[in-house]
Amino acid sequence: MGKIQNQIFSSYQRNPILYDEIFDKQGTIKEVYSRLFELYGGHTIKEYVKLNEKAKSSFFNQGITFQVYNEKETMEKIFPFDLFPRIIDQEEWDIIERGAVQRSRALNLFLWDIYHDKKIIKQGIVPLELISSSENYLDQMVGLDPPGGIYNHISGTDIIKHNDGKYYVLEDNIRCPSGVSYVICNRTALKRALFGVFNHYKTHAVTNYAENLLDLLETVKPQGVDLPNVVVLTPGMYNSAFYEHSYLAKTMGVELVEGRDLFVENDFVYMRTIRGPEKVDIIYRRVDDGFIDPLEFRADSALGVPGLFAAYKKGNVTLANAPGTGVADDKAIYTYMPEIIKYYLDEEPILNNVHTYHCSRPDELQYVLEHIPELVIKPVDEAGGYGISIGNRLSKSEIEEVKSQLKSSPRKYVAQPIMSLSVHPTYIDETESFEQRHVDLRTFTVLGQDRDFVLKGGLTRVALKRGNLIVNSSQGGGSKDTWVLKK
Amino acid sequence: MLARVANNLFWMGRYIERSEHVARYLNVNYFSSLDAPHQLSQSRQFVLRSMLYMVGLSDGDESEELDEAKVLYKIGMDPQSEFSILNNVKYARENANSARDLISTELYEAINKFYHFVFNYDSNIYMKNGLHDFTTNITEMSAILRGKMRGTLLHDEIYAIIMMGVNIERATQITRIINAKHHDALKAQGSYGDKFSNSYEWTTLLKCAESYDMMRRFYKKTPNSISTLEFLILNPNCPRSVMNSLNQVYKHIRLLDPSKRYNKNSTAFLVGRVRAEYQYKYIREIEEDIQYFIKSILDSLSEISEKMENEFFNY
Repeated sequence: MGKIQNQIFSSYQRNPILYDEIFDKQGTIKEVYSRLFELYGGHTIKEYVKLNEKAKSSFFNQGITFQVYNEKETMEKIFPFDLFPRIIDQEEWDIIERGAVQRSRALNLFLWDIYHDKKIIKQGIVPLELISSSENYLDQMVGLDPPGGIYNHISGTDIIKHNDGKYYVLEDNIRCPSGVSYVICNRTALKRALFGVFNHYKTHAVTNYAENLLDLLETVKPQGVDLPNVVVLTPGMYNSAFYEHSYLAKTMGVELVEGRDLFVENDFVYMRTIRGPEKVDIIYRRVDDGFIDPLEFRADSALGVPGLFAAYKKGNVTLANAPGTGVADDKAIYTYMPEIIKYYLDEEPILNNVHTYHCSRPDELQYVLEHIPELVIKPVDEAGGYGISIGNRLSKSEIEEVKSQLKSSPRKYVAQPIMSLSVHPTYIDETESFEQRHVDLRTFTVLGQDRDFVLKGGLTRVALKRGNLIVNSSQGGGSKDTWVLKK
Repeated sequence: MLARVANNLFWMGRYIERSEHVARYLNVNYFSSLDAPHQLSQSRQFVLRSMLYMVGLSDGDESEELDEAKVLYKIGMDPQSEFSILNNVKYARENANSARDLISTELYEAINKFYHFVFNYDSNIYMKNGLHDFTTNITEMSAILRGKMRGTLLHDEIYAIIMMGVNIERATQITRIINAKHHDALKAQGSYGDKFSNSYEWTTLLKCAESYDMMRRFYKKTPNSISTLEFLILNPNCPRSVMNSLNQVYKHIRLLDPSKRYNKNSTAFLVGRVRAEYQYKYIREIEEDIQYFIKSILDSLSEISEKMENEFFNY
C-alpha cells in the first residue's frame, strides 16, 4: 500500500495488485493526470465536499433523476456523479474508436447475413443452435431489408481495462443502449462545479451527439421520402430512461412520442397532432422489440403501435435500431466476435474479447465446473448485471448451487476468467476521501448508410461499493465525466 | 405539436396559475385579518371559512369550530386533497415532464426547482409559522415561471397553448376570488355599521389580486364595491382583470387559429363572442346581480376549455 503526498489524496490507499488509471506501479502520477492532480490538490476536503453538494443539486434542479420504487412510495434519485474526471489520451482513444466502429460494422453485416443467406452458419463458423435457440431471433425479420441496410444504428460498447493495461470489450449493446445523456450531463455538472480545470486540458466536446445522430438517422430514410420526419418513441414518463428520451428529442429538435400518439393507416405511420395526422418516416424507438406492435409481437403491449411492423415491412418507415438486433448482442454470440469480425471484414479485432467458455459445449462445461472459483458465470440473456455469479466470492454451498444450475441448463450460461477492472480515484461520501474504485467505459457508436460516428467521450461507470466489480446503475453504480484529449 | 402534449401544456399553464392564486389568497386574507377594522373580519374563523369557500370546499356549519392548522394544511400541503397547492405544483410538473422536449431547459429547471421547494417544505413549520414564507415563495416562483415562459419560449403555438391555459385559469381564479370576497362582504355587512359598498373586504379583494396600488392610482379614491368590481372585471389595462384575461385568450387563440373564415363551431369564435359580451358592459349591470355574472362567466370559461379540448386535444 503506497501513500500519496497531496492534501486531498493524503489518505488514498493504493492496492498494487490493481491497475490504477492515474498512478503507475511506483505510485507516481501519470503524466496526463499530473496537472489535474495538482489542481484538485489545491482544494481542501471541506471545499471539495461543498463542490460535491453543488453538483448534486445541479442534477436535481435539471431533473436528471430516475425513479426508485419500493412498497411504500416512489422516490426520485440522482445517478451518483463523481467530480474527478477520467482522462483518455488521443492514442488510446484512437484504438477504442476504431475498435468500436469495427465491431458495430461487423455486427451489422452479421445481422444482415443471419436474416438472409446465413452464410456464416452454412460455413460452420457460428453454430446454428445459437441462432435457432435464441429468443431474440425474430422470424418476422427473415428476408427483410431494413432501409439503408442498417440494423444496429446505435451501439453501446462496454469496455474495460484489465490489469495487463489492455482494453477488453465485455459486452455489445445493440438493442436500446442508454446512458448517452449522462455523458453530456456529467460534463455540464463538472463545468458548473469546477470550470477552471478545463483551461488546462484540450478536451473534445460531447454535445455534438444529437446532431450527428439526427444526420445519420436521416441517411437511412425510407425510399421516396425527401425530408424525413424523425421522432423518438418512448415508453412514457415513468420509464427510468425518460430523461434521456426527452433530452434526445429536444436536442435533435424532433417530437417525443408515445405509442398512443401514433397510428398506422394503409401501412403508413402517422402521429396525432393539434392539426390532425402527420406522417412519420423515421422512428428512433426506445421501446423493446416485444412491445413495438401488439399485432405482431406481444399482444398485451400498451406501449406499441398496432400495425407498425407491417408498415416497416413495406419499407414505409425506418426503425432504429431494427427489430431483431438482440440476437447479436447475446452473450453467446459475443464469444464468436473475433471470428465474426474476421469473416465479414477480413480484419483482426482491434479490441480484445474476453476469453469465454461455452457451457453448451461438454468439454468447456467440464472445465467450468472444475474452475468455478476463478470464473465469472453469466446468464446468456440477462441485462443490467442481474444473475451474475463471481466465482471467488461464492461460498461452498453457493458453488454447488451454481454447479447444479449449469448442469441442468448449460445453454443458459457462459463463463469468463475474472477480469480485474482498472480502478480510478473516486470521492466517497461516507469517508470524505478518495478511494480506488473499479470503472468501465461505455462508448456510443452510430452507424449511417455510409458514415459513422463515435462520441468522443463515453460513459465511465464506477462501482461505488468497495471491491464491487458490477458498475450498472441498477446495482448502485455511479459515473464520471470522461475526457478524450485532442491531439 | 402532438395533441396529447398540447393538452399537457395547457394544463401545466393552468396548474401553475392556480397554485399562485390560492397561495396569494391564503396570504392576503390571513395577514390582513390580523388588524382588520372590525370584529368579524378580524376573527380567525371568518378568515378560515373564506379560504375554504374560495377553493370550493364547504365552509362548514357556522357553529362548528374550525381548526386553523388543519385548514391551512388541507389547502396548502395535504397530499390527499385534490386541490392543495402541493398537488397543483405536482400536476404542473408532471405535465411539464411529458413536454420536456418542447419547453426550454430554463423553464423546465424553474418548474423543477419550484416542485422541489414545495415538496421539501416542512409541513409542521408551514402550519406553525411558515405561512408567509411558503406563500410568498410560491407567488415569487410563479412570477419567475411567467418570466421564463415569456422570455425563453418561442412565441409559437406551443406558447399560445400555455398562455391559453394561464389566462383561462386566471379569469377563473379571479372570478372565484371575487365571489369569495363578495360573500365575505355580505357576511360582514352590518357588523359595527359597516356598509356593504364600503366594506374593508374590497381592499382585501384588491390585494388578493395584487391590484390594490394600481387601483388607488387609477381611481384616487377608497375602494368601494362598484369601483373594485369595475377594476377587476372590466378594466382591460389591469393585468389581473377578467377582461384582460379574455383579451389574452383571444390573442392566443388567434395564433392557433388565424383563419378569417366564419366558423361558428370554432373555439376562436366562442372566445370572440364571450369577449365581446364583456367588452361592452356597464359595471352597474354586473353589480346588480353578481351571482348571475359569476355563474355565467365561469360557465363560459369552462365551455371555452371544453371546446379547445375537442378542437385541438382530441386524439
